[in-house]
Amino acid sequence: MKVPIAWLREFLELSQDPNAIAERLASIGFPVAAIEKRPALSGVVVGKIVALEKHPNADRLQIGTVDVGGSTLSIATAATNVATGQIIPVATIGAQLTSVKIERRKMRGFESEGMMCSADELGLPTEWFEDGILQLDEGTPLGQDVVLLFGLSEDVLDVEVTSNRVDAMSILGLARELSAATGTQLSLPAELTAPQLRVSSPGVRADDDLEGVRVTIESPDCSRFVVQRFTGVRVRTAPMWMRVRLALAGQRPINNLVDISNYVMLEVGQPLHFYDLAKIAGRHLVARDARDGEELTTLDDAHFALTPQALVIADEERAQGLAGIKGGKFSEVTAQTREIALEAANFSGPRVRRTSASLGLRTEASTRHEKTLPAVFTDMGAARAAALLVAEGATAYAPRPFGHAVERPAAVDFPIRDVARLLGFTLTADEISKHLRALGFEVTAPSPERLTVTPPLWRPDVAIAADVVEEIARMAGYDNVPTELPPIAPHEIPSRAYHLERDIARTLAALGYAEIVSYSLNGGETFERLARAGLDPSAPPVEIRNPLSEDQRYLRHALGPRFLEYFARTDRPAKIFEIGHVFAKRDHIEETPMAGFAFAVETKSGPSWRDDAFLRIKGDAESVIHALTGRETEAVPDRRATLHPGKTAALLVDGKEVAFVGAIDPRLLHEFGVRLPVYVASMYLERIPEFRTPRFRVPSRFPSTDRDIAVIVSRDASAKAVQDVVARAAGDVCKEVRVFDEYRGPQVGEGRKSLTLHLALQMDDRTITDADADAVVDRVLAALESDLGATLRS
Amino acid sequence: MRLEDELRELRARFDAALERAADPKHLDEVRVSFLGRSGEVTTVRRGIGKLPGDERPSAGKTINDVVASMEAALGEREGALQRARFETSLSESIDVTFPAPPSPLGSLHPIRIVTNDLCGYFERHGFAVVLGPEIEPDYYNFDALNIPADHPAREGFDSFYLTEHLLLRPHTSPMQIRTMEDYPPPVAVVVPGKCYRRDAVDARHSYMFHQIEGLLVAKDVHFGHLKGTLTGMCRKLFGPDQAVRFRPSYFPFTEPSAEVDTTCPRCRGAGGPCRMCSGSGWIELGGSGMVHPNVLQQMEYDPDIYSGWAFGFGIERLALVRYDIDDIRRLFENQPEFLAQFS
Repeated sequence: MKVPIAWLREFLELSQDPNAIAERLASIGFPVAAIEKRPALSGVVVGKIVALEKHPNADRLQIGTVDVGGSTLSIATAATNVATGQIIPVATIGAQLTSVKIERRKMRGFESEGMMCSADELGLPTEWFEDGILQLDEGTPLGQDVVLLFGLSEDVLDVEVTSNRVDAMSILGLARELSAATGTQLSLPAELTAPQLRVSSPGVRADDDLEGVRVTIESPDCSRFVVQRFTGVRVRTAPMWMRVRLALAGQRPINNLVDISNYVMLEVGQPLHFYDLAKIAGRHLVARDARDGEELTTLDDAHFALTPQALVIADEERAQGLAGIKGGKFSEVTAQTREIALEAANFSGPRVRRTSASLGLRTEASTRHEKTLPAVFTDMGAARAAALLVAEGATAYAPRPFGHAVERPAAVDFPIRDVARLLGFTLTADEISKHLRALGFEVTAPSPERLTVTPPLWRPDVAIAADVVEEIARMAGYDNVPTELPPIAPHEIPSRAYHLERDIARTLAALGYAEIVSYSLNGGETFERLARAGLDPSAPPVEIRNPLSEDQRYLRHALGPRFLEYFARTDRPAKIFEIGHVFAKRDHIEETPMAGFAFAVETKSGPSWRDDAFLRIKGDAESVIHALTGRETEAVPDRRATLHPGKTAALLVDGKEVAFVGAIDPRLLHEFGVRLPVYVASMYLERIPEFRTPRFRVPSRFPSTDRDIAVIVSRDASAKAVQDVVARAAGDVCKEVRVFDEYRGPQVGEGRKSLTLHLALQMDDRTITDADADAVVDRVLAALESDLGATLRS
Repeated sequence: MRLEDELRELRARFDAALERAADPKHLDEVRVSFLGRSGEVTTVRRGIGKLPGDERPSAGKTINDVVASMEAALGEREGALQRARFETSLSESIDVTFPAPPSPLGSLHPIRIVTNDLCGYFERHGFAVVLGPEIEPDYYNFDALNIPADHPAREGFDSFYLTEHLLLRPHTSPMQIRTMEDYPPPVAVVVPGKCYRRDAVDARHSYMFHQIEGLLVAKDVHFGHLKGTLTGMCRKLFGPDQAVRFRPSYFPFTEPSAEVDTTCPRCRGAGGPCRMCSGSGWIELGGSGMVHPNVLQQMEYDPDIYSGWAFGFGIERLALVRYDIDDIRRLFENQPEFLAQFS
């Protein structure tokens, strides 16, 4: 919210230093996002053109005689909108304007004693003000300093107001807060001194002569509707001081009536609407649900077909505006308007929010109403508007409220100990009362332990003791909160999932993998690539209903695609990993935490039945799982949509699959533009079992002996099957069995392969002899022959 | 031949052999052939038996003297050769600046490192670390956190929706609710994890980001305990001189609420232009506050007995500040040159 400091200063004395004001606001919960610097202007005074004549030597120049209060200046101007009698801003010799400093100079032989100013020279948006020389109001005292008069060089604060403090989304609201924080008295215009409805505001007629104007509230979402009638209205340009303030606050000046409603909204916080009473059928305003299909054209010529979800203000024939959002075109105030009805109403925030969201229409009014304004603002807004309209020459009749009366928020029973209990520092009852009273709260002390705290009319957000604590903390200063360490009682909450991720990450980093973190959302290209490669994802992807862009439409279904993108981009051997969630849509939306790692290697060489890179990724997966679980894994052949059909294995722990490894399908590599072969492992984090603490076994004191044997078996016999047979046949004496070489070729015959095994043999009670070892080998060979048809390779 | 001559001749051959032996293996051969069980000295010693009985003691002594001197010579030669070998070894010299082969170690992502450091700090102070789903129903994201439908504060959470009531969590706060649902007080947890908001991506914003949530609910827990805990956290992350300040703010699930700032570790508030803090001297960490009584009540925690605080900070911001990274997008671009700097 843009807050011109000059406007704030209307209500209280403030520091000359904008940074000090900004810091003070931040300290009580209103951070200043930016301080908009205004140009340092000087030397501009109010002048009146008393005579105007043509420049003797230039057709397009005129020379004005300008009374600047006690003296006159002769000033040349090229502007075409000047006339005798106008009150204008005059930059005198030595004046500093936005981009120039005024010096004596001759214009075609004539020495001008200053310059008549336009909006641009005073740092005002030219498109919001008259072309040519600015027109000040009649009666503006001549000779006055224009920069000071309009606060043209005072900075503008961009203040952030949190959504619970709609009462402070106004100049007056922030002034109230600053007054409480600094202990400076608020100075209010007469009509705002008592926030309750004032029947006898200055210049307002005491009678509420509505001349038949009526309000009917049909919807509970309109809780209060203050209506006020004005006659003798003249639509024209608003006074300069109002236009300047609106412009500095970022609001474009339009005409005096529109400007007054905007001015009151920005200053008091209550959005208003004026109806041309000549166009209100039956002089009857009704707050009701829109009829299904009811049509409305708003002030900005937007056309809506409404549903009953929308709350409207209607007359007896048609909707005349969207309640709390925007007025209707039909009853818009025009140059012909003479009699108006003012609406200052209070609506249900959620109702306004829903309507605004469904119509896609947000306005300054709706952003306030959707936070549910304090009801008292209706009276304050009407009172302030009436004073401004009277100043514009209108006749004001007393306002008439409809709907609920304004009620004071309920008193809060406040235990004094809550200050210490929640904030960690103590205050006396007197100190607490002082802070709260500064904010307009009423405080009584029914007992030494408790206070009864009644919020001011504009603070219905304060409803419970914790709210009061925050008010006290804001006033006492958040810097008073001490710096202490909490006593933490023991609890039973486990951290296992986190420890698992942390340990996997550390293990993979130790194994040489670099961690990546990639975006979880992607476009459809991943699925298109799968489809082009002739592969189907295992389940449909999860789709975002309201994506920001097409390339963020789907939640990732796997970690692999980002790995492939990485390898396509880097095009060199590398090892990477990522830990994150993947998503799939089956019966319901599934979310699965995964750890994936992958490497790209130089193109493999060697026989088709051997792939060392596959063994490396499998070995790394086994190592990681062992480090995490203390358990052994078993690899079984498997199929996955994205993996090479002959180079995929599921890894089981205790018979349950916890991971799978494999080579990426070459067709998919091609679709992703990856040149190098890629191997990948994926671990299901939620399936990884607890770490099993190992039990120590005393190693044998006796030496061991090794035997290597080569056997020829069918190609169908897996290394695992061979090892299992060997281990079973050899018995306890065999401490380790491991297939370490494979050979296929003419020497071993069609459909057969040679496997070389290493056996480590050792006895627990004595040194193993050659005869013992030979006997084991004989047993092993016999079992391999009978179980697998194996023969010894000679 | 007289015994003495025999020994002199033997000794001469021994000395010559010793001279020729240039390594431990040859020395050992010399020892075996002269002094071994079936060596030449033994042969000579056997000759004593043939001597007259009265000459035998002196002959024995002569032989023993010779053997002792041979063993000494052998030992000396052994020592000399050992010293020569050391000298040879010590005379070697290499270029120690010659580059080592590339490190076989991989690397952790800076977000992981910061997360681990944060979680490590909190675990040492008695907090558990819990993780939660990224897809959450609106109940956990909003309703249970005192943000009913149509609440203005929902506007601050511009979220990605999957169904009418299911969304990608815009903050880690749903885990506050899940934790309090699952455990009675006291609870002390932190929750690191990914969050999503519909923000356009630029140098400071990302639609996907990581938060760490903290929740402590117990008896006698106050706002000062949050300040103390966070001061320690910032010191752990940025160094011993960090200070923490609170500024009033508003979150529907805390009351009172505060924005938390810490001293800018880059400029230390020196003033002037600073890329990290824009010259303010403070870095914004995120939101915090005392858990709102409505939230406690809904979890069946008695707000008159238990109090607690919660916070939620962006991890990216902490990583950017700690490592002086200029652009949040670098964290998710996964350039090898970037990742390698954190190994």
